[in-house]
Amino acid sequence: MAAKPVRKGIHVDHSELLCKKGCGYYGNPAWHGYCSKCWREEYSKARHRQIKEDRELAERLQKEEEAAYASSSSSSTTTTSRPIAFSKFEEKKTQEKARKVNTVKKFFTTSKTPSKRSMLLCCPNNFTMVRQHSVESSQAAGEFQEFLKLLRKPAAQDILKRCRACIEGIAVFILLPMFSFQPFNNFAFAGSLPEQVEKTMDNVEKYIMTRLYKHVFCPESTEDEKKDLAIQKRIRALHWVTPQMLGVPINESSPQVIDMVEKAITDIIEMDSKRVPQDKLACITRCSKHIFNALRVSQNEPASADDFLPTLIHVVIRANPPRLQSNLQYITRFCHPNRLMTGEAGYYFTNLCCAVAFIEKLDAQSLSLTEEEFDRYMSGNASPRRPTQEPSSLVDELSACPVLAPLHTNLLDLQELEKQQCQLESNAADLDRALVAWDGSVAQEVANVARKLPPKVQASISSFPLLLAEVAASPSGPLDSEVEDSITLPPPLLPQPAGS
Amino acid sequence: MAGGQGTGRSFSFKVVLLGEGCVGKTSVVLRYCENKFNERHITTLQASFLTKKLNIGGKRVNLAIWDTAGQERFHALGPIYYRDSNGAILVYDITDEDSFQKVKNWVKELRKMLGNEICLCIVGNKTDLEADRHVSVQEAEEYAESVGAQHFHTSAKLDRGIEEVFLDLCKRMLEVAQVESSRADGTSRHGTARRGVQIVDDEPQGQGGSGGCCS
Ligand SMILES: Nc1nc2c(ncn2[C@@H]2O[C@H](COP(=O)(O)OP(=O)(O)OP(=O)(O)O)[C@@H](O)[C@H]2O)c(=O)[nH]1
Ligand SMILES: [Mg+2]
Ligand SMILES: [Zn+2]
Repeated sequence: MAAKPVRKGIHVDHSELLCKKGCGYYGNPAWHGYCSKCWREEYSKARHRQIKEDRELAERLQKEEEAAYASSSSSSTTTTSRPIAFSKFEEKKTQEKARKVNTVKKFFTTSKTPSKRSMLLCCPNNFTMVRQHSVESSQAAGEFQEFLKLLRKPAAQDILKRCRACIEGIAVFILLPMFSFQPFNNFAFAGSLPEQVEKTMDNVEKYIMTRLYKHVFCPESTEDEKKDLAIQKRIRALHWVTPQMLGVPINESSPQVIDMVEKAITDIIEMDSKRVPQDKLACITRCSKHIFNALRVSQNEPASADDFLPTLIHVVIRANPPRLQSNLQYITRFCHPNRLMTGEAGYYFTNLCCAVAFIEKLDAQSLSLTEEEFDRYMSGNASPRRPTQEPSSLVDELSACPVLAPLHTNLLDLQELEKQQCQLESNAADLDRALVAWDGSVAQEVANVARKLPPKVQASISSFPLLLAEVAASPSGPLDSEVEDSITLPPPLLPQPAGS
Repeated sequence: MAGGQGTGRSFSFKVVLLGEGCVGKTSVVLRYCENKFNERHITTLQASFLTKKLNIGGKRVNLAIWDTAGQERFHALGPIYYRDSNGAILVYDITDEDSFQKVKNWVKELRKMLGNEICLCIVGNKTDLEADRHVSVQEAEEYAESVGAQHFHTSAKLDRGIEEVFLDLCKRMLEVAQVESSRADGTSRHGTARRGVQIVDDEPQGQGGSGGCCS
């Protein structure tokens, strides 16, 4: 994705956009550059390969399992051997990485001839143990059941049955580019209103995707994670891009606009925390609405795509949303296609895709900069906020960049804290010195008093100064010595007859 | 076939708006969808995505009109915008020869990407400035015919010719959609599934539970 410096503007070569197989139709990144038809062909090949591999792995696991089963049943009755075999499996599962868990699950759903062991594992209780530990999952299941209660009985049962089959099936076909709801259309909804169908689709999507999220979001079999890191790094490297360079027509000095831009940033970041494609889309829509509001405050005409897109790019650069590519891929793969193609949310989503494509390919010319300027900003040797002239005053700089302001106050606070800390330390030192001095003065006073006493008494209490000196020399210092010294102190002086 | 009448169908179409800056794309669409021109559009938050519902011969049509960023630096993003669109409206300014050249570029690009399944309308806007015309009517109309597009003249300012553009486009998109859906058997035509011809149908298509995720 590194932009070649020789390129001018953002160029998406047309050849790059056509189906990789050269059939002449338009390819799609979600289908790895194939058109839908060629992708389906390629995919089914890959899928069969995958299924074969999975089956082999599963068979291997099964052999191990049967060995364990045999050894456990030899030492215990058959009734107890079942849970033992299962707990062994659980153990192994947690030891192995998540990928294998998926593979094992895949096996259960693909296997045409369920083995002894797979039957064991598919028994409802065990199965729930393996899968239903997420709060979201069980909540989605609950909500979905509630929804189904509102439907006619046979239709509801049919949908639930199909959804369950889907969830298990999809664990196998993780990369199914878009799962089609077509079967639902024909089967359960004869005579229903389009709105009803739509609403059911929404609920179906919610249920299925919440349950499947962990398996199909950023799956390991794809490059999604690598792309996430790449775009994240890219955006970080572009932190210097100003709204002016992008031609963002918003008035940045208005607190109202700043507030709306911040909200837009929050919304786009929030997208990653949602599970259901439509919820993710809703985040993008909210983000877009905030952008339109910011645009409306800044200019008097309704915003067009030429106002919206640059502002969205600005927001994406400011936000650097987590797992951006994974989220886009996930929506592309699993969102209801019609929503993406003709709906308003689809429009915003497409613009987000454009923003990301722009950011990836962005170069000097697309920001109306010279190559030298661009390179200097990219390398961090110069900042457009502070042109090569005199470093402007701090106040100027703060007003130029709203992000700096909180940074600056934090810095001031830290300095203040440091000063206080120094003060505290010097006070403590003073106190320490005063104590030592006081200690000496007490010894002095005792000596003075002693000198005034008759010589015989003087002799008998001559051990006093010694004692005091001992206390002062104890390693824990004069303050803390009390406890220790109560142990090491010599026995109290007993009155003794003078001269004995 | 069980279920409702033939009127049970509704179609959703995606239409992209293409054209150089300042040719009047936004003006044309706002005129069409909200009948406004250059006023203070207090209620119109945005003019980048607009919808219009039509009824053509008893068929309900939902039109989604996508404005595209026209600045040169965004040119390369075009394909992302017009992927899966059913129609395109290519606007030029009759007083600006250059904007007509741009339209030709887009037509080439669209035909290459989406083939003949996309319906094209070429629109010469600002006919109220006829005196300052720099694009010959004959040349424009001949060009449109040569690429299988319809040509229209409009003035967003005077509200001339705009309804006709969209009506004609819708009719042609409907024809394409109906041809596609009638051919849509198990081995559906290339691309049908992902293009925007959403046909919400209350009649079973006789397709059974084809493909899908459960197979
Ligand atoms: N005289 C005349 N002026 C028009 C007409 N349509 C649009 N304009 C003017 O042309 C200018 C540009 O119109 P827009 O609708 O903003 O053009 P656009 O194609 O959306 O431009 P961008 O969004 O920058 O790509 C505005 O000043 C409009 O008032 C028309 O039919 N006649
Ligand atoms: Mg415009
Ligand atoms: Zn192909």
